[in-house]
Amino acid sequence: MLSNLVAGGDRLLVLALILPVASLMLAFVLGGRHAERIALATLPIGLAVAVAIAAAVLHGDAPLHTDLGGWAPPLGVALRADGLSAIMLLTTAVVMVAVGLFARADFQVPPGTTESRAPFAFWTLLLALWAALNAVFLGEDLFNLYVALELLTFAAIPLVCLDGRAQTLAAALRYLVFALLGSVLYLLGAALLYGAYGTLDIGQLAARIGGDPLEPAALIAAALMTAGLLAKTALFPVHLWLPPAHAGAPAAASALLSALAVKASFFLILRIWFDVMPELLAQMAAQVLAALGAAAILFGGVLALRQARLKMLIAYSTIAQIGYLFLIFPLVASPETAPLAELRNAPGAWTGGALQLVSHACAKAAMFMAAGLIAASLGHDRIRDLGGIGRALPMTLFAFGIAGMSLMGLPPSGGFMAKWLLLLAAMQCGQWWWMLVILAGGLLTGAYLYRVLATALSTQGPSPVLVKPVDRSREWVVLGLALISVLLGLVPLSSFSLIQIGRDVSGIGVGLP
Amino acid sequence: MNFNLLFALALATPVALLLACLWRPARERMLSLLVLAPLPALAVALVALLDADAMPALMLDPGRQIGLSLDQPGAILLGVAALLWSAAGAYAATYLRGKPHGGRFAIFWLLTLTGSLGVFVAADLLSFYLTFALVSLAAWGLVAHDDTPGARRAGVIYLLLAVVGEVLLLLAFVLLDVASPGASLAIDTVVATLPESPWLAATLALLIAGFGLKAGLAPLHVWLPVAHPAAPMPASAVLSGVIVKAGIIGLIRFLPWDAGLDWWGAALTGIGLVTAFYAVAMGIVQSNPKTVLAYSTASQMGLVAAILGMGLAVGDREAVTAGTVYAAHHLLAKGALFLAVGVFAATARRRLWPVLVPAAILALGFAGLPPTGGFLAKLAAKPVLGSGLVGLLASLAAAGSTLLMIHFLYRAAASASPDPGARAAAGLVWPWWLLFLAALLLPWTLAPLAGLSPWSVMTDRSLLWSGLWPILAGGVLALALQRWGARLPRVPEGDLLALFTGSPRWANAVGEMLERTETWLRQWPVAGLSLLILTLVLWLPMLTRP
Amino acid sequence: MSSVTLFGLCGAALVGLGLYGLIVLPGALRRIIAFNLLGSGVFLLFGVIARRGGGVIAGTGSDPVPQALIITGLVVAFAATALAVALLRRLLQETGRDDWDEDERSDR
Repeated sequence: MLSNLVAGGDRLLVLALILPVASLMLAFVLGGRHAERIALATLPIGLAVAVAIAAAVLHGDAPLHTDLGGWAPPLGVALRADGLSAIMLLTTAVVMVAVGLFARADFQVPPGTTESRAPFAFWTLLLALWAALNAVFLGEDLFNLYVALELLTFAAIPLVCLDGRAQTLAAALRYLVFALLGSVLYLLGAALLYGAYGTLDIGQLAARIGGDPLEPAALIAAALMTAGLLAKTALFPVHLWLPPAHAGAPAAASALLSALAVKASFFLILRIWFDVMPELLAQMAAQVLAALGAAAILFGGVLALRQARLKMLIAYSTIAQIGYLFLIFPLVASPETAPLAELRNAPGAWTGGALQLVSHACAKAAMFMAAGLIAASLGHDRIRDLGGIGRALPMTLFAFGIAGMSLMGLPPSGGFMAKWLLLLAAMQCGQWWWMLVILAGGLLTGAYLYRVLATALSTQGPSPVLVKPVDRSREWVVLGLALISVLLGLVPLSSFSLIQIGRDVSGIGVGLP
Repeated sequence: MNFNLLFALALATPVALLLACLWRPARERMLSLLVLAPLPALAVALVALLDADAMPALMLDPGRQIGLSLDQPGAILLGVAALLWSAAGAYAATYLRGKPHGGRFAIFWLLTLTGSLGVFVAADLLSFYLTFALVSLAAWGLVAHDDTPGARRAGVIYLLLAVVGEVLLLLAFVLLDVASPGASLAIDTVVATLPESPWLAATLALLIAGFGLKAGLAPLHVWLPVAHPAAPMPASAVLSGVIVKAGIIGLIRFLPWDAGLDWWGAALTGIGLVTAFYAVAMGIVQSNPKTVLAYSTASQMGLVAAILGMGLAVGDREAVTAGTVYAAHHLLAKGALFLAVGVFAATARRRLWPVLVPAAILALGFAGLPPTGGFLAKLAAKPVLGSGLVGLLASLAAAGSTLLMIHFLYRAAASASPDPGARAAAGLVWPWWLLFLAALLLPWTLAPLAGLSPWSVMTDRSLLWSGLWPILAGGVLALALQRWGARLPRVPEGDLLALFTGSPRWANAVGEMLERTETWLRQWPVAGLSLLILTLVLWLPMLTRP
Repeated sequence: MSSVTLFGLCGAALVGLGLYGLIVLPGALRRIIAFNLLGSGVFLLFGVIARRGGGVIAGTGSDPVPQALIITGLVVAFAATALAVALLRRLLQETGRDDWDEDERSDR
């Protein structure tokens, strides 16, 4: 059965792209109430495809690869799924399923009407976002990836302004134009790379660069593409669009944007730095990226602490958590990691970074949805006035709390395991200053969570008046996602070998025996 | 095999009760079940202590040695801790009956209980860190339970210091893991290679600071006198009795006992003795009997640290046994006295004597009054502390303890119920009596471990005298305190904390500055330009090849 | 000066103008137009690279791959512009303002 999967793995990659696109077309054509039904029917199938791809990669112990239409690069376009891609596909599918189940109550076509704008837009955009994400995680051609990123942006922007308020419209427009600026920089870099090496296929590029020193044009290209992608990832200091966009969107959309959309452009940075030009990792530029990440952790943490609204707090928390991802560049790169890693069976910073990617996705989606439930039932999300919500919505608050626990890095959560691995890697590389940043970030996270939880658990004063009852099943969805982010920490590390598949581990300096 | 099953049940029982709390009717009745939660752990400890060959071990990840195991110090502390948790649980059921938010209290109680029992059985770095974090952070819910402004402030201070402790320990654990070759995360393995670690000094400093904070060693003891009085009575009992012992078991587990680190041993002994005296000095000017008890806890943990430090200096594992016995007695007696404070407050003044006399016996037990369990704890520590300067200072600290405890008895008697007909409920009285007897008698069953025979000890006059003179000296001091105590300055609870009231303003200024920076950064031209500068900043270092 | 250099310089000038306009100019519509200028510069660069050859199908005088990329890129840029203008129109209807700069206290 599993060997069949591996044999048909190529077709699975195509299916992962076609499925959401076909559903999207169908939903678009049939319209009305069908959009929701089609999207909901797509969720389990998409999850199954993602699981199958992960199983095929794990079982075959090698990346899946296919040339679309039998055309080989550089004329054709290739798809490839290595371990990290498989994990990202799986994470996307899990979050999509959770958000889809959660959003049913918010985006129902009201009885008596055949179609209404917001539900139709939401369900089609959900599918479009999924298609774009899968394209990013599977793409092997840098230009194709550009198109995928643009599709992602086009799907994400209308999600921000679904409610059509002026404030969210402005946030969406700002997000769009800044993302466009980023993608133009990326495209410029791609043009330079093509001029220098005559191909945009990642595998061919890596082969042509080989071990040679990078050409000057390639260095400029790397800087341009990285900067462009940073703009879409909202790394400090180019995060201007994220807080209003993520905080203003409906809860389900915020969850998708914060958990998945920003991860797609980060994933591309990983591919450029690790797969195309690993030589960059040994340079000062890796330290620059990590320094920006460190600044994001501290800055985002303090700003989150000072927000008055719960959704704004969570949005700034995203900015801080994105910072952690950028710490892996100098830690994976350090030449000192390699001998120690072989010695010690340490999965290292790479695994830590991937774990942070996944656990943050689950935790952040859970937090935004929990905040959405709280805001819907109270009619506001002012942190100061959350008193007693712990009694009114115990399960929602519990889910919020354990998701926050994962962000803060408390054991046994996935966030703890990620930070533990990053700490170990920092110590092994002799770069202890990153340890201080990681720990200070944890303290700040704890502080802003305390602000919310202590207020919410307060027993003083009357129980809050709920303007809208909360659906129990939606609370379960949120709790389930939060639990996943915690349980990730309990999975034995040896089973994370999936993350390493398709990496030239000796070149990167981390490996499992 | 069956024993390992029981071992698993020791932690699974409180976890199962926690899960049951998800169901509202179970949550509302959970208070009356708290007494049962620690019983499997008690059984495990008893079996393990009766049959030393049967120490259980459960490995979840054999490759990296992640799992649970029990050793002799762990078993002793696990047993007495389970006893106190059970008695305090029974007490809590009566104490909180009819008050609101019992379900919430039970949840935090069970969380803390799980972590508290867990630290005594965790065999590896990650499990230890998990259980230690659980007991530290979940106890916030107990400290801040009353939700008065005072309790909220105590909760913030408690949580802040607990998280600082977590951070120190996380760093220490990372250093331990990095310094140890091989994949094993077992505490034994990583500590065995600690003496050769290039970061030995940093690791030891972080461990002593992190665990010392939890155990209440000066100057990081400040959370004890703030948090313990704020909590409801049964929670104070477990906080002061069991939770500080998480720090002690940490020191026992993580210090390299065979290395003979004389300088570090001397430092730990010094910190311990300073704490022992400093806490007495701060305690005698307090008026709340619970605050006095909290300071007494800090003082007693200072003595345990001194005992451990003496052993660390010479590489002597006897100190671990002595420290464990001392900590076990303190655990029971301090828990009992906190429960007694609740009984005092519910008893009319004229009915006070039947509570006051046993409380006095226990209180003076901290100073080593023969034939209490405290006397045995002092005797067990005697060979480790020696008869030199440290031994003398320890005896003087016992005199200080006498003084502090007599002060406590005065303050506690003054807190009796003003209602002449008041009588404590049976549910408050029997747990207190149970713990009284346990604190009095149980340490004697540990005498063989410390190489002592109860009979010969009780007939040796010089030993009896060595136990008695500090109490007499402390009694004289107490008379002096009674006479001139009013002239002493008042010190707020948490003494040194008073120095840190100015910090929020400073923090606020930083926050406002960052907010202004954020507003500036989020302007469109600034952000666009930042992006271009970022491109250059990424590109320029690429030009300089390493 | 060869035509490749000339077109390359033109592309660079367009990119420079576009970046300036996108970052500095006030008003949403101007910024959207500046983005199109910027995009055109990049596409011109692709054209230059195609003209210069050097891709896989070297020797034919010009490389077809970048031309395919330009066409795709134009479609994407057109779609982006359409979306941006649609959003801007809606914003204009709602507020009567032609920019997306933040209202100071709106998020607080």
